[in-house]
Amino acid sequence: MASQTSHALLRRTERYRDVLSENWFAYLLVLPVLLFLVLLMWVPFLQGIYMSLHNWPFGGDPSWVGLGNYEYLFGWQPFVTSLRATLIFALTTLFQLGVALAAALAVREIRRGKSLVTGSFLLSYTLPPLVTGTIWAYMLEPDLGPIFGYLTQWELLEETIYWGSHGDSALAVILFVTTWTFWPFMFLIISASLESIPEEMYETARMYGANRVQTFLRVTLPQLKSAILIALSIRIIWNMTKISQVLQLTNGGPGYETSILAVLLYRFSYEQGQMGISYAVGVVLLTMTIGFVFVFIREFERASGGDAA
Amino acid sequence: MSLADYDAVGVTLKASTYGVVWFLVLLNLVPLLFILSVSFMPPTEFFGAPHIVPYEPTLEAWTSGFAELKDNLVNSFLIGTGTALLALAITIPGAYAFARKEFYGKKLGFYAIILAMMFPYILLVIPIMGLWNDLGLYNTIPGMILAYQVFVAPFAIWILRDFFENLPKDIEEAAQVYGCTQFSAFVRVILPLAAPGIVAVGFLAFLTGWNDFLFANLLTTGTGPVPAVPVLYGTIGGGSGERVYWGKLMAETLIIGTPPTVLYLVARNYLENAFTV
Repeated sequence: MASQTSHALLRRTERYRDVLSENWFAYLLVLPVLLFLVLLMWVPFLQGIYMSLHNWPFGGDPSWVGLGNYEYLFGWQPFVTSLRATLIFALTTLFQLGVALAAALAVREIRRGKSLVTGSFLLSYTLPPLVTGTIWAYMLEPDLGPIFGYLTQWELLEETIYWGSHGDSALAVILFVTTWTFWPFMFLIISASLESIPEEMYETARMYGANRVQTFLRVTLPQLKSAILIALSIRIIWNMTKISQVLQLTNGGPGYETSILAVLLYRFSYEQGQMGISYAVGVVLLTMTIGFVFVFIREFERASGGDAA
Repeated sequence: MSLADYDAVGVTLKASTYGVVWFLVLLNLVPLLFILSVSFMPPTEFFGAPHIVPYEPTLEAWTSGFAELKDNLVNSFLIGTGTALLALAITIPGAYAFARKEFYGKKLGFYAIILAMMFPYILLVIPIMGLWNDLGLYNTIPGMILAYQVFVAPFAIWILRDFFENLPKDIEEAAQVYGCTQFSAFVRVILPLAAPGIVAVGFLAFLTGWNDFLFANLLTTGTGPVPAVPVLYGTIGGGSGERVYWGKLMAETLIIGTPPTVLYLVARNYLENAFTV
């Protein structure tokens, strides 16, 4: 019995050695990037969870508080405000999808100037988000900005709107600017996928007498499905972490009305140096996004048919 | 289906197609047109009726904007370039292995990397702040370059793997028949063929380093190598001031925004297929 297990063990180590000696070159190639991700992602992440269980002033001495930070958060009124803002803010992803889908379908139809059009679409995405945030802060400035300037001059508005002083209008502005900035990412993914639908599928659909609506619903949309799901998952998560435009446009105010979770995290760490609570906010943010990550894995697996990786 | 019906639908579709395209193009270009015009206005012209052509155009905003940003632009450039070079150094080998080698644990490793893309990296900045502080990397350019690898590396792997995968099959074996080793086949055959993809990914990495606000703002302080983007935040401070000189600010947005835009527009020709999923 003992000899049998030791024999099995021997065989297994031998197999590992075989795998290693056969593939050592591949492992060597993959090693740097894996090492970087472990050091830059997993180590800080685990340390962060540890931090969230402490009262941890920046540069000071931490003291253990257990779940105290989380308890504090959930009993703190602005945190609820922040959650509400985050949920409303999450709608930007749907708006981005709507714009991107319309744009991708429209661009496929045009014959000339395609690259010029997509080039100009991408402008908003390639500019640093803080830059576009600053641009819109000017465009929408209630007293000096051109938008309200023209609206009042043409008497479409009686007087300018100080959107920054009301939670809902401030959120609406942030939703607009975020959507304006980030929709081209989804556009890129959806158009790439649209281009890769084989022309034969459309010919077949035509041959069977499908009309435009049927073609769209039965050919185009199913082919785009995984692209849309992947783009959605990535964007939901990335949008959640965007803080620069919110900070530039409203600074998270009035009060905490536009402090989405990421901004709240920033305010705790940067303005108050409370790293512990800040990370507790981060953990809440992460749990909100984990569900979408599962969707991503499943769809990615299916989209690549298992042979890609 | 009569011909007239068909045409009515077709014409409506065509019209809405061009409607959507024009609307979106204008939505992007009009704000840029405004800030371009504002950047040539003297401070006194902001008050009063809005207009698009400056009455007395001046370069004041541009020169003072450049003067203010000079050092920060250099920092941004160094950080962006460093980010791109380091990202390529660590991801080219990895992407190559994931694309063209078979090995145990390949799938797992690839997903571990791709999933990192899904990680809300705002969660990393706080512990990294602490770690960098302990390691002496806080407030340094190398510290920034290292930190950016978190979000550049997964993306680079994703795109580069696709490039390597699409190179002709068995090309390394052919090279090995002619006397190359595994390594020299990679360096002398694969790398030159994948050059366009590599350049494009390098540009993307550069523009990530250039565009970022979060790490740039949290990992540097006023005394350190502050890149250009956070300076812009400093000057308006969340809409606090009446006294903001918008002309200068808008000139600065254009100064900061031009390099990444140009790079992206160059790079995208190579990237078009990379986004196919």
